[in-house]
Amino acid sequence: MFAALHDALNPALFWEYRVTLLTGLKQNVYIFIESAILAVLIAFVVGTARLSQRPAVRWAATAYTEFFRNTPEYVLLVWIYFVLPLIIGKMLGTHFKLSPHAAAVIGLGIACSGFMSETVRAGLRSISSGQTEAALSLGMSRFTMLRRIMLPQAVRRMLPEAINSLVSLFKSTTIVSLITVQDIMYQVSMVSVAEMRPVPLYTGAALLYCAVIILATQVLQQLTEKWRGRGWA
Amino acid sequence: MIENFNRFVLANIDALLSGLWVTTYVCFWAFLLALLLGMVACFIRLRGGYLKIVAVGYIEFCRATPILVQLLWVNYVWPEVFGFPQTVVGAGIIALALQSSGYLAETFRSGFEGLPKGQREAALAVGMSRWRIMSRIEAPQVALVVAPVVINQLAVVVKSSTLVSVIAISDLMYQGLKIVNQWYEPIEVLSTIALVYFLLIFTISRAANYAYVHFQTKFGIANHR
Repeated sequence: MFAALHDALNPALFWEYRVTLLTGLKQNVYIFIESAILAVLIAFVVGTARLSQRPAVRWAATAYTEFFRNTPEYVLLVWIYFVLPLIIGKMLGTHFKLSPHAAAVIGLGIACSGFMSETVRAGLRSISSGQTEAALSLGMSRFTMLRRIMLPQAVRRMLPEAINSLVSLFKSTTIVSLITVQDIMYQVSMVSVAEMRPVPLYTGAALLYCAVIILATQVLQQLTEKWRGRGWA
Repeated sequence: MIENFNRFVLANIDALLSGLWVTTYVCFWAFLLALLLGMVACFIRLRGGYLKIVAVGYIEFCRATPILVQLLWVNYVWPEVFGFPQTVVGAGIIALALQSSGYLAETFRSGFEGLPKGQREAALAVGMSRWRIMSRIEAPQVALVVAPVVINQLAVVVKSSTLVSVIAISDLMYQGLKIVNQWYEPIEVLSTIALVYFLLIFTISRAANYAYVHFQTKFGIANHR
């Protein structure tokens, strides 16, 4: 067992394949950034739509949030990769194909936007109604009120929760390897098949993720601390 | 579309249902194990003395590693290093349990730390033993406070359980993908599976919501999560 343990923690294999693994990690980071942007954009639209005055808009936004919050990311990803191109192709009457990368970004972005829109809604709801009433009575349009009064305060309150969502989005980027995006887990399994030694690589990947995520969470919390404190709230 | 639905979904309903059963089985045991591990980790973290650091390390590791990485890690590495689990189902259950136990430990901890300190002091002052304080005063309140979050964690377990198909556990997702690979007709099968998972997880998170509202109004529990 000690020999196996020593083998498990031996970083040599990790170091040997550092270039391959780093290219994989780069894929993860690209997908993370792209889907995070997509998620934030959708989340703001859907989150504000949930507080709309029109019941139909509200309902549609609620249905969107509930559906994507409660569907597993893997199922969503596979569905978008295999099914969505077929449906679009049938509608357009042509052949249509999504690259694995695009499918991954869309899938993860939409899945994350479900959680984030909930955060946006909670943030907007937390602004006291006195402020909105005051803004409306001054003759601001609802959009100006949203832009000038509600969002600047709400965004600061959303940050801790949004950072949590982003961290779990980064964790979810590991599953894109399953639709053949050549990310770090894809490279890890390729290398361990080639080397016939799964132990050090998987252990290394687990520890690496653990370190990166704990570090990133701390850094992000620290960085935004100041900005959050500077609110008008 | 209807015709395809009949051909691919209804014709393979037995395989899909057996997949659903495997999903339920894996989730049930994983959740039970996660509750147990979570409680143990929480107690060690709160009352463990020097062992506290071990519990903190365990909790942080479980929370900060993606489920897919843990799944592959437990499946490929554990048998060589620790000699178990011997089956893929075992590996799936352990990996899912590890992931959730970290979150649950933190949930339990927040529950215990949310209790007013005066209660414990009062109980000690009237001469209750520590075990009595735990079973009569603290545990019942904590259980009610954390119940919604714990139920939500079950939803997370079900969600993550879709990934166990990767290590060849024949769960619902695995059966679905098998049919897709056989016929190259993904639309109906995958949509059905997505809907089934959605309904499953939606029901669980509705239950969590119900517990949250119900317990709060019925037992007057303070609103902290």
